[in-house]
Amino acid sequence: MRPSFPSLLLSLLSLLCFSPYAAIANASSAADSISTSISDSRSDYHEQLILRPLPLSALLASFNFRSNTSLSAFEAHNFRFFPRSLGQILQHAGTRELHLRFSLGRWDAESWGARPWNGAREGGTGVEMWAWLEAETDEEADHKWLTLTNALSGLFCASLNFIDSTRTTRPVMSFQPEGNHIDANATNMHLLYGVLPHEVVCTENLTPFLKLLPCKGKAGIASLLDGHKLFDSSWQTMAIDIRPVCPEDGECVLQIEQSIDMVLDVDRSKRPRDNPIPRPPPAHDMKCNTSKPYHAHDTCFPTDSAANQDWSLSQIFGRPIKGTCPLTDPTVSPVCIQVPDSRIVFASEGAIEKKNPGQTSRCFDFPAENDFEVFLPAPETQDGSVIVDQHLVKPETPLLYAERSFTGHGQERGGVQTILRNPSPDQEVEFIYMESLPWFMRIYLHTISARVDGQPGKADSLIQEVYYRPAVDRARGTQLEVRMTVPPASTVFLTYDFEKSILRYTEYPPDANRGFDVAAAVITILNKDKNGGNSRFAAYNLRTTTLLCNLPTPDFSMPYNVIIFTSTAIALAFGGMFNILVRRFVAANEGPKSGLKKGVDKLKAKLAALFKKKSSAAAVAMTAEKKTE
Amino acid sequence: MPRLLASALSLRRDPRLLKLPPYLSLLCIVVGVVWLFLLPLDDYSRRTYISENALLPGQVHTYFGGSDQNVFRAYKYETDELAGKGNIEVNNKLESIAKGLGLKVGRQNFTYSSAGNTHSGQNIYAILQAPRGDATEAIVLVAAWENVNGELNRSGVPLVLTLARYFKRWSLWSKDIIFLFTPDSIAGPQAWVDAYHDAHDSSLVASLPLKSGALQGAIALDYARETRFKSVHIVYDGVNGQLPNLDLINSVNHVAGGQMGMGVAIQEMWEHSNSYHDRLQTMLRGMLKQGLGLASGPHSSFIPYHVDAVTLQPFGDGWQDEMAIGRVIEGTFRSLNNLLEHLHQSFFFYLLMQKERFVSIGTYLPSAMLVAANFTIMAIALWVKSGQPEVREVITEKTETAEEAGKVALPNPHVTVERDLFLPLVLVAACQFAGVVPLYLFNHLSESALIPAFIFFTILSAILPFLLSSILHNSTTSTTTQQYHLIRSFSLLLLGMFLSSLATLNFSLAFLVGVFSAPLTFVRPCPNSPSNGCLWSFCLDEKVGYGLGEVLRQAAFAWDVTGTYTPVVVWCVWWPAWIVGVVSVLGRPDTRENKVKKA
Repeated sequence: MRPSFPSLLLSLLSLLCFSPYAAIANASSAADSISTSISDSRSDYHEQLILRPLPLSALLASFNFRSNTSLSAFEAHNFRFFPRSLGQILQHAGTRELHLRFSLGRWDAESWGARPWNGAREGGTGVEMWAWLEAETDEEADHKWLTLTNALSGLFCASLNFIDSTRTTRPVMSFQPEGNHIDANATNMHLLYGVLPHEVVCTENLTPFLKLLPCKGKAGIASLLDGHKLFDSSWQTMAIDIRPVCPEDGECVLQIEQSIDMVLDVDRSKRPRDNPIPRPPPAHDMKCNTSKPYHAHDTCFPTDSAANQDWSLSQIFGRPIKGTCPLTDPTVSPVCIQVPDSRIVFASEGAIEKKNPGQTSRCFDFPAENDFEVFLPAPETQDGSVIVDQHLVKPETPLLYAERSFTGHGQERGGVQTILRNPSPDQEVEFIYMESLPWFMRIYLHTISARVDGQPGKADSLIQEVYYRPAVDRARGTQLEVRMTVPPASTVFLTYDFEKSILRYTEYPPDANRGFDVAAAVITILNKDKNGGNSRFAAYNLRTTTLLCNLPTPDFSMPYNVIIFTSTAIALAFGGMFNILVRRFVAANEGPKSGLKKGVDKLKAKLAALFKKKSSAAAVAMTAEKKTE
Repeated sequence: MPRLLASALSLRRDPRLLKLPPYLSLLCIVVGVVWLFLLPLDDYSRRTYISENALLPGQVHTYFGGSDQNVFRAYKYETDELAGKGNIEVNNKLESIAKGLGLKVGRQNFTYSSAGNTHSGQNIYAILQAPRGDATEAIVLVAAWENVNGELNRSGVPLVLTLARYFKRWSLWSKDIIFLFTPDSIAGPQAWVDAYHDAHDSSLVASLPLKSGALQGAIALDYARETRFKSVHIVYDGVNGQLPNLDLINSVNHVAGGQMGMGVAIQEMWEHSNSYHDRLQTMLRGMLKQGLGLASGPHSSFIPYHVDAVTLQPFGDGWQDEMAIGRVIEGTFRSLNNLLEHLHQSFFFYLLMQKERFVSIGTYLPSAMLVAANFTIMAIALWVKSGQPEVREVITEKTETAEEAGKVALPNPHVTVERDLFLPLVLVAACQFAGVVPLYLFNHLSESALIPAFIFFTILSAILPFLLSSILHNSTTSTTTQQYHLIRSFSLLLLGMFLSSLATLNFSLAFLVGVFSAPLTFVRPCPNSPSNGCLWSFCLDEKVGYGLGEVLRQAAFAWDVTGTYTPVVVWCVWWPAWIVGVVSVLGRPDTRENKVKKA
């Protein structure tokens, strides 16, 4: 039987709209001859949300979406769950591995502890991307990089096309490919890294991000993602990682991993959307410390902010999870909560709670068609005080704390100081510190020094290796990679000085007096291979905050004033002079007469003639009279 | 054209030209001073306006109040309990409250020594990290534990704590907010700001353990009174007469005066009728403060680092409560939070004469420049005069008018005698360098030695001119009239140069020093009344020395802690000029001997 015309059109349309879900539905229903079996396709996509309450009434929500397509299918333009729009760009630009980050806010390591995913899924403030491109020469790699950034710029509604040669670096030590590349050290693999610290991440970046998912944010955990909540969080990072993965016993697959990590302030998120203003609560609603001697109906020493409050999914995200995505791997629980086992967690009906013994985490499975809701009640308290440790998973101590700031003042030169603190009592930390600075910050490499706090004088042994690629004015930025160590339980100050250059008049942005953003420094902590080998892998990543560098800024109204003043002077002087030079001067009676004046003159002449005639007639008469006399 | 040039050239030789400069100088001084007194008029001053569009002051609803007042009362009890306790104990309490609010807390120790006293203490500050921001920019809210008068900031400290709790609830902050509590109003903020910009001496002032981004503005709260108030007083004078951007003052004025409906005062003018008299008084008070260059509050230390700052002081008896000043701060912070760029649009050089009237530098600068120019004019005239033949001076001594001298000099006007530069140069240079001695002494002596040193120095500077002039007179080669002319010329030249450059940095100081030194233009040797010089010397030294001990201690403190440069101007610009002036008053030019030598 031939398929009817409308159904054919429909399937064609669904193919055209590049939707992987439509494509797979079409493929599985219409064509059984596709090589992958259904059981394989199940494990091709999974998603998971991990919720972890943090101290100071914060909540970390980590969304993770992962889908695979076999490399051979990818080469054959059969994208399956892999987003076609992105896949075509990658193929066009010869990209072997891509990492893209959109970040906002800062991770408070002092109170929240170690970063999620060991910092591997986050970037510095703004947009950050790095990719391994396949190219024969550097020029070809640059060209492909340009193609890639421009295409991604359109896809993600971000100013990625502003990653030009001045913002692109080629890191030498900091980044290692995450995927399995057959020819990982081949010369035709080029790593390029670009960063836009001033890019403001917003809803227009979230929408294309969700569009890449098979369920598009309509079902599954992605249904919680809402711009209002995501961008109101204290810290959030959206990451896309594309890498080839070759399992030992199977075919190589191209894996796309999308993740969103956000830290929500529970108090702030629970505020209703129609009343977001934090008005002072009524006095009787306040939590006061009643043990204070002065406590009264109009006097209240507040105790509320330290409490770890109760929350439910729909309270903090504004809606419950709308079922599960039908394409997801059912063996992976979609929602997990990391709280101590002793704490009570309520889930909506039909959900199955799975506790992981030993680990302070529990996961929930729920039917695909039902809404899912989790409620975490406030822990019971004795004598009004909450012991945080018992009700929260204690945050893991990070391997290193890093804080970077400017030193000095004035508009001629300055310095950068990074404070690196190793909290471990017995372990030395070895890491690579990478800066990619704009060209107008000319660093003095001889001033780079590291000293241990409390021990005066430079400790040269801390810096083990420096890779430095100097800036070229208006062509490329400075790249600085330092391999260094921090001794156990000590703080190291890494400092260097720089000079600020003066930009050309047109090179200033419209908000020149704001200053220029300097991208975050990337710190990659190396872990020595346990087998004693030389190869090291990144154990933990962290990024410092961005900096705002003030350059000497001209008074832009000055040239404007000068232009106006000179224009006026020229207009007056030149106008007058030109007028005098060009005009032909004639005596008033010599010139031709104009229309109206002509008429008036004619009239006058006529009148005069008339008058004359009369008078002459009279005169004639007179003379005639005289003659007659 | 050639005829014009020729006549100009011939005019150059005209001796009548030389009698002009004293009148010209006098005219400069008179015009300069009158100019200043014209400024308060409507035609010369302007109304203030908000120049930076992003500020939008008074455009937001402020919600501070309600149950926050209960919290304020609780914090006030806590503060009252801490009254009279040690710095560390106070900081421990503040730290526990700030940490309870979920803020990051840092502490900083500092020690300054000045006039033999040590000023040490510990600053404590809490950073409210912008909820969605990056640590690129920050604004500061300062509450000193004691205000400039040494009173406990009894309502200010709890109010800042309450505001910290309130601000924490908002998610709209684009900049970090730093709450700074300092033990005193001058040294503490100075130590903190220095350390924030790494301009501190790390042996005296500790580095900051926590930092945020570039400071965009600061508001200090000095609220020592416990009762309700009527109006708010904006203190804006920075160190060395530097001022915050006018937009900041206007914003506070707009929020307090426009939105909150409370009165706003500046320069301690508690009542201001907007009359000429009041405007002039406000302006002159501002100029005096600017000229002295002392720190006037916790905000002063921020201004040299290009961080615009003001101090708010509630005053008067009225019905405004603590929540009202809290809302003023909230409104101002919301405005500062709106800023996309560092405050740069409006004026940095201005004189305010009422909360809404000001004159900008273009209008007022000529007055100081004219006063400074009078010295230069006279210096040039004296230089020219010194080059003319000495012969007329014999007659001048009797007639004492330059006019006569000019006529006598007429026969041979083209001859320029050789100038004997050595003695004048040495004398003027020696006097200038001698100024370093009092500068060093008064900034390094201990407090108890200050007054004796000052009395001794006053007597010394009264005797010094007599000594110098008697040395000049009795030395083997007696000083000639020409040399006296040159001495005065060099001294005035330096004075004019210093003052005109100073006028661009600190208008008021340049103007005040200029007016005080104005008589120097007209001094001439009059050996018959040596008491004259003595008198002048005394009365002018007294002017500086009034209030004595306290003034000297404050000056030393300002020099050591805040880096006020007024002592440099007094001892290295004004004082040498006076010594040279008095020397030339006492001078007895030996013309007869000169004639003999010439012959």
